[in-house]
Amino acid sequence: MKKLLALLGTCLALACAGATAATPGVTAEQIRVATIQDLSGPIAILGAPIRDGMAMRFDEENDRGGIFGRKLRLVVEDSGYDPKKAVLATRKLLQRDGVFAFLGDLGTPVVMATMPLIIEAGRPHMFPFSPHAATYQPLDPLKFQLFAPYQDYMNAAVRQMVTSNGYKRVGLLYQDDDYGLEVMKGVEAGLAQLGQKLVEKTSYKRGATDFASQIARLRAAGCDLVVLATVVRETVGAVSEARKVGWNVDMLVTASGYSAQTHELGGKAMEGLYGVSVMPHPYAAGANDRLFEWIERYRTRYDADPNVWSVMGYNVADVFIQGLRGAGRDLTVERFVHAMEGLSTTRDFFGGPAYHFSAQDHLGNRHGRLARIEGGKWVLISDYLK
Amino acid sequence: MKALLTAAVLGMVAVALLGADYALSQSAFVATWAIAGLGLSLIVGQAGQISLGHGAFLGIGAYVEGLLAVAGWPPWVSAPAAVALAAAAGWVASLPGRRLGGMAFAMSTLAIALLVEEGLVRWESVTGGAAGLAVPSLRIAGQVISGPLGQSLVSTALLIVAYACCRRWVASRIGRAWRAVREDEAAAAAVGIDCGALRSLAFVLGAGLAGLAGVLYAHWLAYLSPEQFGLQLSFELLMLVFIGGAARLAGALWGAAVIVALPQLISLFTDALPARWGSASGVETLAFGLLIVLIILLRPAGIAGERRQAGREAG
Repeated sequence: MKKLLALLGTCLALACAGATAATPGVTAEQIRVATIQDLSGPIAILGAPIRDGMAMRFDEENDRGGIFGRKLRLVVEDSGYDPKKAVLATRKLLQRDGVFAFLGDLGTPVVMATMPLIIEAGRPHMFPFSPHAATYQPLDPLKFQLFAPYQDYMNAAVRQMVTSNGYKRVGLLYQDDDYGLEVMKGVEAGLAQLGQKLVEKTSYKRGATDFASQIARLRAAGCDLVVLATVVRETVGAVSEARKVGWNVDMLVTASGYSAQTHELGGKAMEGLYGVSVMPHPYAAGANDRLFEWIERYRTRYDADPNVWSVMGYNVADVFIQGLRGAGRDLTVERFVHAMEGLSTTRDFFGGPAYHFSAQDHLGNRHGRLARIEGGKWVLISDYLK
Repeated sequence: MKALLTAAVLGMVAVALLGADYALSQSAFVATWAIAGLGLSLIVGQAGQISLGHGAFLGIGAYVEGLLAVAGWPPWVSAPAAVALAAAAGWVASLPGRRLGGMAFAMSTLAIALLVEEGLVRWESVTGGAAGLAVPSLRIAGQVISGPLGQSLVSTALLIVAYACCRRWVASRIGRAWRAVREDEAAAAAVGIDCGALRSLAFVLGAGLAGLAGVLYAHWLAYLSPEQFGLQLSFELLMLVFIGGAARLAGALWGAAVIVALPQLISLFTDALPARWGSASGVETLAFGLLIVLIILLRPAGIAGERRQAGREAG
């Protein structure tokens, strides 16, 4: 009994002993940065390349000597897309690992459940992979977003398509979740600006594999352009179904369907499919010198071809590093936020957009560009649409 | 007394090792999941029914509490309402049991899980649909409970109450009747037990407890979306009960500790592994799966289950 009580006391003393540094996660040698990815759940296929891209950019910076002599350390936690696990992981990262910032967390439920804890702890919440507007609105000094919202770029993409190709009857196939709804709002707003309305809209449940009834319905409505708020597999399923029944309608998919897997899985039937690209896919064939060298390095390092998610992971790490460098030698959260608010990047060798942040606007980019599958690969057919 | 002290020491070690907020946050979720587990344990372990849709009741409790909290209702009104609605859903879910038995009835509970998830998505005007619902912090007597300490205290206090209630039920005439139904329905009916009503009672109480867990979950997570209450959650809760030991109430506590805290412990260990191994995709899931298999092999009747019983079942 006495021994137990003594042990209790010791534990208490130990618990209280943890002293805190001036800026959490920043020492003379190191900056610790957290990311919560899905490495084992339903979107692990995105989480792994995102993490790999981020790790690659961090190591590059470290090989060059780090940021003012401080090496970057990426602390990765796997949420499995479970917000409960993500909340616990956040507590761990905040308290045990004492990280400086959270970078590129993946998945809306995960982001929405963890963001309040991160903000409350006073750590920057940087560039999460979630389309939710709460990641940059209302304006909060600690929240920054990099990815163009579906609503904004689909609005512009649909307007561009309708004005240049003269479509009269636009239809929509959408996934019935927050992603599908965001796209619908954008498409409807874009059409409204041209005095048009959606002539037909039909939905499917995530994971659906049969699109026969949806395609039949869109065809019966006489659509001449079908917008797809689908992800890769559903894109392939919907386009294949249309072609199978001999319907050669033009189709436009969001950036979620803009993936090399779309033409790899779908084959010839995907030819002519339009898509919106926010970050270009890294094709080795026809790549510029720097991109080609990057692809080679990625292949050597991970023994796999990079995809658009690897590029996005690399990209968030790159912009974050530019912010860190702007904050100067004496790194604090305030200095970092101030540097981020003044940051304007230039176009990179991937062909991605330039990002602009200000004290009034923490969303770096609102634009996407049009692409089309030609000869078994995505070909960019427009610049970023304003 | 000894058990309490051991628990206290374990808790302190956890705090010292993990840091207070992290450990307390875990204990809040462990206690919350244990409450839901207790409910399922009544249905599965005592009354001998399989519920494949228990996550749905947790979802109903969470959404009702979330929506009422957003509307500004105090928790002493909203929480009982959430528990009552979840319990009512449990009663509805038990109705097919009057005509169906075994797997056919289990399938009907599976349907409940699907219906509730779909309903939460479709009933957009109320639930916010797939875009989700932000829930304000719990407020008790003017105090905002948003930190891990408060969350842990509230969850643990409610767990103690729930555990005490369950023990009373299980030791009473109802508990004996449940076990009679579980062991031999025909014999139970022959001695005058209304099997259908007892099964419904197990579902009402079990779903009510899940609803209570949902109330806490809604506040601890502060963001609800329908996909959180899908089949995966129902299976997670079922796994919790079987790993802990369905025949004993303490099994729910053990099961919750394993389901919630074990992945966290594994993640601490993988942090210590060389980067190449620790960062490989799926390492943590693999380790978790292996440990679960190990637990089931060593203790087939669950962690809290008796070894003797385990031996008998294995033989």
